[in-house]
Amino acid sequence: MRRGFTALAVASIVVSLSGCGDGNSSSSSETTPSPPPVNNTQPVIVDAGPLVNGQFAGNEDVLFTTVTICVPGTATCQTIDHIVVDTGSTGLRILASQLTLNLPNSMNASGQPIANCIQFADNTYQWGPIAKADIKMAGEVASAVPIQIVGPANFPAPPNDCTAGGTPVETISDLGANGILGVGLFRQDCGPACASPTSPPAIYFSCPASGCSIASVSVAEQLQNPVWTFPQDNNGFLIVLPQIAEGGAASVSGSMIFGIGTQSDNALGSAQAQAADGFGNFTTTFNGTKYSSSFIDSGSNGLFFLDSATTGLPDCSRQEAGFYCPASTTSLTAINSGPNPIASATTVSANVAFSVANAVTLFSSGNNAFNDVGGSNPGAFDWGLPFFFGRTVFVGIEGQRSAAGTGPYWAY
Amino acid sequence: MKKPLIALTALFVSALTGFAALGGSEQSVISDQVRLKASRRVVPEHGYRVHEISRDDGTLIKEYVSFDGKVFGVSWKGPTLPDLSQLLGSSFAEFQNSVHPKAGRRKAAVVHNRDLVVESTGHTRAFQGRAYLNSMLPDGVSQEVVQ
Repeated sequence: MRRGFTALAVASIVVSLSGCGDGNSSSSSETTPSPPPVNNTQPVIVDAGPLVNGQFAGNEDVLFTTVTICVPGTATCQTIDHIVVDTGSTGLRILASQLTLNLPNSMNASGQPIANCIQFADNTYQWGPIAKADIKMAGEVASAVPIQIVGPANFPAPPNDCTAGGTPVETISDLGANGILGVGLFRQDCGPACASPTSPPAIYFSCPASGCSIASVSVAEQLQNPVWTFPQDNNGFLIVLPQIAEGGAASVSGSMIFGIGTQSDNALGSAQAQAADGFGNFTTTFNGTKYSSSFIDSGSNGLFFLDSATTGLPDCSRQEAGFYCPASTTSLTAINSGPNPIASATTVSANVAFSVANAVTLFSSGNNAFNDVGGSNPGAFDWGLPFFFGRTVFVGIEGQRSAAGTGPYWAY
Repeated sequence: MKKPLIALTALFVSALTGFAALGGSEQSVISDQVRLKASRRVVPEHGYRVHEISRDDGTLIKEYVSFDGKVFGVSWKGPTLPDLSQLLGSSFAEFQNSVHPKAGRRKAAVVHNRDLVVESTGHTRAFQGRAYLNSMLPDGVSQEVVQ
């Protein structure tokens, strides 16, 4: 039902866009953008991270970018570096400790501040109020979009529904970054489920001084993938990172290019698109077994898949528990598959070759970027940042259309 | 195979106190259900029974109970993480000590200790995981049933 509704809305947008673009005879792209083309290339880098107490954070395989945020509609702005580029979440989240701008907090109909909670599978979380900001990347602007201010002082504490008994990741030393740019497959971090008046999940909260409780929040007031709110180049984006040598690299530079088939630099080319399901997952087949809860996540610092018993890869010792430590680098293959987003009865498959090296050896090298860090993720594949090296990976956003079809889809 | 279902409601059991779950008594399942504002059904299996606690937001928590009334396993799936301090009960501290996330790392939480096993995976909108105690698996019941 939801997909049908979205498709209708997109169809009407496309009609009005092509109407506006009729007079622009100089453009040759298939979906004619109505505004004049802007710079759509945002630099990204894997490096040693921000300085934390005089030392680089130095975490492995974290992809960063620099984002400018502004008080909506003004030239009062702040540029913040070392923001994690994360295709595994949605919405911009800035650590309160790194924010100097005074942004307007979002209030609900009862006049109470709206707060957001993001949880991670390792039982950590980020908590904080929603505020609105203009987000500027390359020549693109997302105007007055909700963002999360993570871990501010003088804000009510997170309830158990958010913490789940876990630990916060709200300081620069905990996060190893100044914030997270969530540019996943979905338009919002939650979507219609959190607008439910009866039983929304523990993602949005109303925060009177007496304490916060789960609340329903309209889709428009939720955290947004800023890309889909751009006036143009808004149907998705691609991440391009060069291949790196075995043993890693100190830093790796690449690009996040906005739009898919909207300008000369973002054509699909030979990339094959695979639709993701309503959770953002697809099927990875390994040694003949299908794992249907697999996903691609630039915010995961390794290739996390299955477990030692299934893969035969030995676990690292306690200090690096959760990573694989084979005696020698091991080459493996898997098959990713999903429906063709433009013809869902057809399945599109891609063979993916990858390697897993000894994580302890890699981490002791002093490098920051590795294409062969692996670890366990029982029952599924989490294709983390190593997947992106040597590839162009397109992210087709939910409900947004390109020549590949309608998102959510991956193409590579 | 058809399984008889026993439907229960969440009402009028608020007098029961004490969370727990893994390693705890079957009664603790009911307090979980109340706290989660969820509905529950019981599915009998060979050698154990499963309490399935579901919420309208898509959360499904299963608690695996032996015939002597002990919760030997739990699993979860849904848009958010359940309160693991509640679900893992007295094993939560061991879980926290074993995973203790390293700064700047994001990955699954996997604990394979001699007795306690916890596997927590997923991402925004789609979390899943399971936990069990090897020492409490009923005779003839494999850990693979905890899914």
